[in-house]
Amino acid sequence: MISGDPVLTAKGLTKTFRSGERTLEVLRGIDLSVAPGESVSITGESGSGKSTLLHLLAGLDQPDAGEVSWAGAADTVAARRGRFLGMVFQSFYLMPELTALENVTMAARMIGPVSGAERERAAALLARVGLADRTDHVPAQLSGGERQRVAVARALMNRPQVLLADEPTGNLDERTGDAVVELLLSLCGETDTALVLVTHNPSHAAKTTRRVALHAGQLQPVT
Amino acid sequence: MPWSLYLALKQLFPSGRRLSFFTAISVAGVMLGVALLIVSVSVMGGFGREIRRMIIDTQGDVQVRSGAFIDNPEEIVATLADQPDVTGVTPFAEGVVMLQYDYKPAFPALQGIDVDRVNDVIPLNDYIRVGTLDDLDDDSVILSAQLARSLGVHYGDTVEVYSPLMLELMKNDEVMLPTELRVSGIFEIGHQALDSSVVLVTLRRMQELYGLGGGVHGFNLKLTPGSDPDRVARRLNGVLPDVAPGAFARSWMDANSDFLFVVQLEKNMIFFLLMFIIVVAAFSVMSSLLISVVRKTREIGLLGAMGGRARDVALCFCYQALVIGVGGTVLGVGLGMTVLHFRNDLIAGFTRLTGSEEALRRFYEFSNLPAYTSPGDLTLIVSMAIIVSALAGVIPAWRAAQLNPVEALRSE
Repeated sequence: MISGDPVLTAKGLTKTFRSGERTLEVLRGIDLSVAPGESVSITGESGSGKSTLLHLLAGLDQPDAGEVSWAGAADTVAARRGRFLGMVFQSFYLMPELTALENVTMAARMIGPVSGAERERAAALLARVGLADRTDHVPAQLSGGERQRVAVARALMNRPQVLLADEPTGNLDERTGDAVVELLLSLCGETDTALVLVTHNPSHAAKTTRRVALHAGQLQPVT
Repeated sequence: MPWSLYLALKQLFPSGRRLSFFTAISVAGVMLGVALLIVSVSVMGGFGREIRRMIIDTQGDVQVRSGAFIDNPEEIVATLADQPDVTGVTPFAEGVVMLQYDYKPAFPALQGIDVDRVNDVIPLNDYIRVGTLDDLDDDSVILSAQLARSLGVHYGDTVEVYSPLMLELMKNDEVMLPTELRVSGIFEIGHQALDSSVVLVTLRRMQELYGLGGGVHGFNLKLTPGSDPDRVARRLNGVLPDVAPGAFARSWMDANSDFLFVVQLEKNMIFFLLMFIIVVAAFSVMSSLLISVVRKTREIGLLGAMGGRARDVALCFCYQALVIGVGGTVLGVGLGMTVLHFRNDLIAGFTRLTGSEEALRRFYEFSNLPAYTSPGDLTLIVSMAIIVSALAGVIPAWRAAQLNPVEALRSE
């Protein structure tokens, strides 16, 4: 159910990269508003600035102009990020020294001590993504699709209001990628988590409630 | 447990593996440095302690000497014995003589001792290997073991002693026959310098050989355990001018300050040089952690994406260095103490293997390797090892904290 004040808002986002004397304006006055529980896909060509936009929305980078606000507050610092956001990346980014369960609980550990209830929640999330019998396996013992499912479970561990997924199927085969996107949409729907999905794949983009395309530094709706 | 410490422990002891190779090598480096430092400093400490014990056992806690000889020894003995903290006083006279056996000469330092009082101050009986102190009389002599060996003298043999007084008389065309003394004992202190150059006679014989009359050259004093020899010597120097003008008291530390300084300097130099082993180990740890920062760049970016602050990312690497330092130090202390416990067995095995058993006994001061680990030395080694190892994490931590999460996530 999509309703309520926007959970993620970007206004007039501008980002420019400089390389020597050359200047490249990647984002030009981007406006984006995501409602609670909404799923938004962002498509665009390689190098169009999709990941840059995602990093700005996550507060990992600062825009040259404009602002990002989370649940109405423009305070996008690390201390809030752990609770407010979950992120899924193309390269999974699991900690190789930790088991699947430890990778998922790591998200909770970043914001405070891990209780027994949180360990149970992590185990339940892994079961929900189909990895109930792989909790003690380290990433090296998991396939690409399994690793990405662990990453999805980790991203949802702290009950974030927004989940940002940066080409989560980029390193997966088509079938596995379809399954991961289905999982993302399903889990976000169950938990009323807003989803911003950056993807090259039109079929994946079509599954979200709203589609936008990044072209020439600006967002345009896709019908 | 903060996540930075948790992750540091996980990176050192990954799930699914018993021990990371990097962790094992890093800890081993620190362990070996600490163990080597403990063994070396303890052996040096043991040597120093033995030397100090021998000095006290042969000179007493405080010595009173005069530039000339002291001709009222009994009065001074009584005065000194009355002083607080003084438990024993024994007079002595000393000088160099020529000693000859079977036409083989030697020039030892002859010490005249008061047989009735010497054991109150110097435990000579503990060092006499052949014969007893009771056998020493005006016609006999106790030789040091090395001197006896070098001259080929045995218990019961007779040696000839020529004193400088005899040489003076010879200038006046007077002929004096050497004094013949029976060897009534052989002692061994365990220190080469003392065992090769000291001979004991009664005080009366020494006074006669040097024409001292009833005079002596000084007094050795024994103090109550725990009293400060320097303080007692200072107090005595306030009293001595009244009974023995020209005489002065010195503690055993003061009398041997140059020698003790050299002993301490050697120990400090060993400590300083061996400390560099730990510094090298710490550089190895730093190098490994710097490589880890590069290898884990994307994970560091992820930590930022998950809400981790740069400070906590840096702490993660600091914790790793600290854990390596603490682990290596604990293991190093265990290894060092174990080696010290079995040091004599190890040396016995080594000398048997190389056939150098006798050489070790002859040319080193001790046949068993002494060792003493002072709490102060141990504390210094442990704290410096941990501090140096922990500092190895600072530069990698700084580098990790400088990483921009966005660039880290993008890195290949």
